[in-house]
Amino acid sequence: MRLYAICVYLFLYIPIGIIALFSFNAGRHASQFMGFSTQWYGKALNNPFVMDALETSLLAAFITACLASTLGTMAAIALQGVKGWLRTLFDAMIYIAIMIPGIVIGIATLIALVTVFGWLNPLLASLWPDGANPPQLSMGMPTLVAAHTMFTMALVIIIVRARLSGMDRALMEASADLFATPWGTFRQVTLPLIAPAILAGFLLSFTFSFDDFIIAFFVAGSETTLPIYIFSSIRRGVTPEINAIGTMVMGASLLLLVAAQLLLRRGASKSNN
Amino acid sequence: MTKDNGTISKQKFMEELRRYQKGSVTRRHFLGVTGLGMATAVLGTAIPGLRPRPAFAAGDIGDRVILATWPNYHDEMNFEAFTEATGAHVQVNVFGSNEEMLAKLQAGGSGWDVFVPTNYTITTYVGEDLIIPLDTSKLPNYDAGSFEQRFSDAGSVDGQLYAVPKNWGTTGFAVNTSKLDGAPTPTTWKEFWDLTMEGYSGRTMVHDYQLTTIGNALKYFGYSFNSVDEKELADAEKLLLDAKPHLFAISSDYQPPMRNGDAWMTMCWTGDGKQMNVDMPEIAYVLGAEGGELWSDYYAIPKGAPHMDAAYALIDFLLNPEVNAKEVLAHGYPSADARTNALLPKELLEDPILYPAADLLNALEFGAAATLTDPNRAELLARFKSA
Amino acid sequence: MTERGRKALLLAPAGIWLLVMLALPLLVVFVFSFGERGAAGGYVPAFTLEQYANLPARWTAFKNTLILAPLGTIAALVIAYPLAYFLAVRCSPKWRTSLLILVIVPFWTSILIRSYAWIFILGGRGLPALLESIGIDDIRLINTPFAVLVGIVYGYLPLMVFPIFVSLDKLDKRLLEASADLGSTPWRTFRQVTLPLSVPGIATGCMLVFILLMGEFLIPAILGGGKVFFVGNALVDLFLQSRNWAYGSAVAMTLVVVMLVTVSIYMKFISRLGGQRQDVSLM
Repeated sequence: MRLYAICVYLFLYIPIGIIALFSFNAGRHASQFMGFSTQWYGKALNNPFVMDALETSLLAAFITACLASTLGTMAAIALQGVKGWLRTLFDAMIYIAIMIPGIVIGIATLIALVTVFGWLNPLLASLWPDGANPPQLSMGMPTLVAAHTMFTMALVIIIVRARLSGMDRALMEASADLFATPWGTFRQVTLPLIAPAILAGFLLSFTFSFDDFIIAFFVAGSETTLPIYIFSSIRRGVTPEINAIGTMVMGASLLLLVAAQLLLRRGASKSNN
Repeated sequence: MTKDNGTISKQKFMEELRRYQKGSVTRRHFLGVTGLGMATAVLGTAIPGLRPRPAFAAGDIGDRVILATWPNYHDEMNFEAFTEATGAHVQVNVFGSNEEMLAKLQAGGSGWDVFVPTNYTITTYVGEDLIIPLDTSKLPNYDAGSFEQRFSDAGSVDGQLYAVPKNWGTTGFAVNTSKLDGAPTPTTWKEFWDLTMEGYSGRTMVHDYQLTTIGNALKYFGYSFNSVDEKELADAEKLLLDAKPHLFAISSDYQPPMRNGDAWMTMCWTGDGKQMNVDMPEIAYVLGAEGGELWSDYYAIPKGAPHMDAAYALIDFLLNPEVNAKEVLAHGYPSADARTNALLPKELLEDPILYPAADLLNALEFGAAATLTDPNRAELLARFKSA
Repeated sequence: MTERGRKALLLAPAGIWLLVMLALPLLVVFVFSFGERGAAGGYVPAFTLEQYANLPARWTAFKNTLILAPLGTIAALVIAYPLAYFLAVRCSPKWRTSLLILVIVPFWTSILIRSYAWIFILGGRGLPALLESIGIDDIRLINTPFAVLVGIVYGYLPLMVFPIFVSLDKLDKRLLEASADLGSTPWRTFRQVTLPLSVPGIATGCMLVFILLMGEFLIPAILGGGKVFFVGNALVDLFLQSRNWAYGSAVAMTLVVVMLVTVSIYMKFISRLGGQRQDVSLM
């Protein structure tokens, strides 16, 4: 059993090891190791497009995660006890949002938004005072975040709802009697109970948005996210620079995870004392 | 410097300095306004590091320009030089086919400033209202007379200039001759396809766009590269479907597998053939004797380009013969610009990969606009890929 | 504020978001699927069923997807289950969290880069070269359905491990002890106690992986060399190469319908299997 687990971990980590190994390659081509060097890390860190792409990706992922977890939690709480057509409509949209392949939603969103912007832009221009530059709606960061939020918000609703449904209804009724205001109930009772679900939803949303290629490829306009940058660079042949970026992103996330883990453990041991 | 270099108030100086630090004015504007220009110019003669860098284009062109182009098609050093000179970073997006570029522009919201269409696409872009006429007053390095006409005339539609020539080239095939077991190097498309289905089974790559893959299959039968004839296309389709199980991959990114030995033969553009041949002499570049594609790439600006000034500056920079010569040396695609060729070493100008013999060249055809947009050819390739 | 008004206020943002970013795009694709291809590609308004009549031309892509998606799901399940079992039941709690984290970490590197690592491993200088040194000649792995399958399992393994782990973790270990005390063999214990109790996890994991595989396009494109064609690849091709938006829309609509039908059937089947009326939760 243990042997099997080791094999699976090898399967998971050999490709990662290869990526990391080749990031230290002195040569330019990814298929031959020509000596040890850390130059590609310096190159990647000094490449404004890599840094820009990283910034874009982090920003998009952060806004997406905030929006998705807030709006998703709001909706999940409000949906409790809602029946009838509204419930059916929401359930249908949530499940379709999750089931629809990224490629379909990417293409569909692009076509729809370009069409809508095509109508709105002349309208905006005609409403704008003469002389001033009217705003031009176009694809970019807002559309990227909007598309990512749509999908991840549906995820959050499902996660939070699962947690809510496991909660004791009587607890909330009791608290409603005690606190009287709905806001008080929410803050003192509901929120602490669903907090793990919200956090899970936030992290999932962040990860999804950060790693998504296909939706971003269609709706990001001229914005370049890290996956889009990598995809474009890979067409010119994988350079150790790409491997260095991958290794750094993974290293950073590993550090964050370990740090979070340590914090949680310390918090847990403190509360035990 | 044309600005008035008189003294300004201390307060105004600080304001300008802040603007400069925030990046909202260029160094040149700052120096001009504050009168420091004169001082640094004087100092500069003594301390070379302080000499203001020659600003390439007058005024602020922004901090970036986005270029959509083909794989292995530029000298990275030139982009660095452009950034040095203008402050604008060049972001390169690489594409695999003209179809893909056209699709992205048709969908809208591409965000490109400059892109590199091939000759046969330009009338379509004009017809679809996707590119803008070029203002030659913003391209001082463009000299229409110095370009060989057959490689530059597709840039004008109805007498209006929409695109200026980048490089031209051919589409042949690259073959790793060390795997031939002493057999002579193939010289025709017939041999290309036959070898694919026999000795090189599982080792051949074809492009993943219809123009050349179908065109070169048509050449097996001696039909025109641009044929849209139903019966001829049916023959080509049969050949492609027969060959498919023997292919290594359907992809336009063929350099990596050719270099590491997974693939032995591939449809190939001039410069890629040259680049591989330089590093691995056993990889030969062959033009099919039956003919095939002759093409010419252009620089153009899509409608709604977000950084229009930077777009003009970049094109003009790349049209500079000295810059262009460096490009050619890096990527191995010939230029149609006589001024550039004058700067290139003689060996390169006599290289048979870049400049094929007249009889081979004469058999080639330019791709036609109708070939690009033909729905039957598009559908044929999709059937081939999904088979 | 009334209860009703409050609920409406809480629901409105999510509802409007879903309507604009999901319902509207789907409606546009639906409308486009009845249109025609423009002369230079793109879309021309029309009302025709031609695009749907033309669907058989993409039958191979649907067939590949409908074969490789379930196959990839099963392969991921077969590899993930023992690992999840090990982590939840056999592994010492001291190591459990760290080992679980190690399952997710590869997920944090772009799927693109990870797939490219497999090009190297499966390419001529990787595994085949190793096999050749032990006397197995002329094995080709890269750009085959096998390579795509490996990439799929590799890419989606964590999504399978986690739900199964969660369901096994909830399992009361005393049940297993009781079963062993009653003289049951380990295999019988597994079959009669552990496996049935982990069905919800299996169902969730399979559904997640299956849904993602149905729309997959990157892994076949990278590891299949353009020769292994999924519906996702057909869609990219239709929108980015042949620029037949009307037909592409029809294929996209069909894919959505096929998925909704398969997934609903699957959910019915699973909920019957589990003997509960409750629908399977996605998470």
